[in-house]
Amino acid sequence: MSPRARDWSIQAEMLVLLLAAWEVLARYGVIDPFYLPPPSRVGGTLAQLFISGEIWTHIVATFGAALLGLLIGSLIGMALAMLAAASRATFLLLEPFMTAMNAVPRIVLAPLLIIWFGIGIASKVALAVLLVAVLMFFAVFTAIAQVDRRLIDRVRTLGCGRRLVLTEVYIPSIAMVLLSSLKVAVGFAFTGAIVGEFVASSRGLGYLLNFAQASFNASLTLALVLLIMAFVLLLLGVAGLIERRLLRWR
Amino acid sequence: MLTIEGLVLGYGGEPVLDGVDLSVGAGRIVALVGPSGSGKSSILRAVMQLQEPLAGRITLDVDRAEIGMLFQDDALLPWRTVRDNVALGLRARGWDQTRRFEEAEAWLRRVGLAGLGERYPGRLSGGQRKRVALAQVLVLKPRLLLMDEPFSALDAIVRHRISQDLLGLVEREGIAVLLVTHDLEEALALSDETYLLSAGPRARISQRYDVPLTRPRDLGAVRADPRFGPLAARLWRDLSAAVGPAVQ
Repeated sequence: MSPRARDWSIQAEMLVLLLAAWEVLARYGVIDPFYLPPPSRVGGTLAQLFISGEIWTHIVATFGAALLGLLIGSLIGMALAMLAAASRATFLLLEPFMTAMNAVPRIVLAPLLIIWFGIGIASKVALAVLLVAVLMFFAVFTAIAQVDRRLIDRVRTLGCGRRLVLTEVYIPSIAMVLLSSLKVAVGFAFTGAIVGEFVASSRGLGYLLNFAQASFNASLTLALVLLIMAFVLLLLGVAGLIERRLLRWR
Repeated sequence: MLTIEGLVLGYGGEPVLDGVDLSVGAGRIVALVGPSGSGKSSILRAVMQLQEPLAGRITLDVDRAEIGMLFQDDALLPWRTVRDNVALGLRARGWDQTRRFEEAEAWLRRVGLAGLGERYPGRLSGGQRKRVALAQVLVLKPRLLLMDEPFSALDAIVRHRISQDLLGLVEREGIAVLLVTHDLEEALALSDETYLLSAGPRARISQRYDVPLTRPRDLGAVRADPRFGPLAARLWRDLSAAVGPAVQ
């Protein structure tokens, strides 16, 4: 068995032990199932959501808002960073705003976005965009500022013009940072979508969470948390796969 | 091939070099030595238009596309294969992919890296990366080669081998070279003439030495030539004198 497989095996054994202990303690009343229902009940609730088919509307709503927010936020963040890097005046204009946005937990703007864009998908996308765009702005701006001058000089002395300097030095340098920021951005996009749904919405996993909380349904809450974790981990896996494929030269 | 007259270079308007004159004739190897901080590398950067002179004139008898530059560090694109790196300059000159890859592979063979074209630079040794950088420049068939302490980061054996290979290539192809180095023996062993810069700020050319050694040269044997030792001793003495006041 490889060391990695051995580590996974140990982790899996620990998880099974933890779940078993939790199940036994909840069944024998050591833990109050009202607050912490046993894993079997959480699993049952999760299965019921899928069997009834009710969950799909909410998954599509949350995924749609998160992925749209991720895409739009990344594009806006990158575009603004490039503008700020290209023009000192734009940098001076954007920097205080972005720094201020970065300094506060941006989810506090959720109520305002709901007032502006309503309780539909637009306000969730807007919140995800806000979270992702600020992250991407700083990541890309720093990446541009830190592009290796030696590489630029090198390709210029080989006779490369602006286009090749851009495609051979700037874009790969920025892509490296973008790919590592993408993992954080996925989490941010889901946070934006779910918090937006939690504050005011008629569907989505955040809406369901709000419903579960209001009805003191700990089993549904845990089932939804597990579901969100699974989806985010899946997306992080995809992001990691893309990163490994594109950065195979490392 | 290259004439530099009254060159003044500096940072923030403050001259580091003040009125440098030197020339490199066709097929000649010229070395430039001097104390650290005297602005040797800045001269090469000015020739490549990577640094704006404060005053003076740089005249070239070759097209800019016929100048190659070897830097102290390898600075290869880490995300491109060795073959892509070597072919990059040809791509800038509009060569199609098949031709530029053939040419790149041919030069990789000439610098002793046959079969390594598909590797990424991160998987090469320091000496191999230096050879890639060399092939990257020589594939463009430069008529003038500027070298900024290109082998300083290599160990003695690798350095000797690559220097000898480069010398052979340069002599065969008749390439003019302006070499910046802090290694006095390397300067004399490789060059036809060596210039000594005084200590900065406001450094100038303080001495010029003709190196009366015949070509082609064997870098191992050249140091045993009876004319080499006295010349190296004189250069060492002059450099010490140049550095002395700056240190004090």
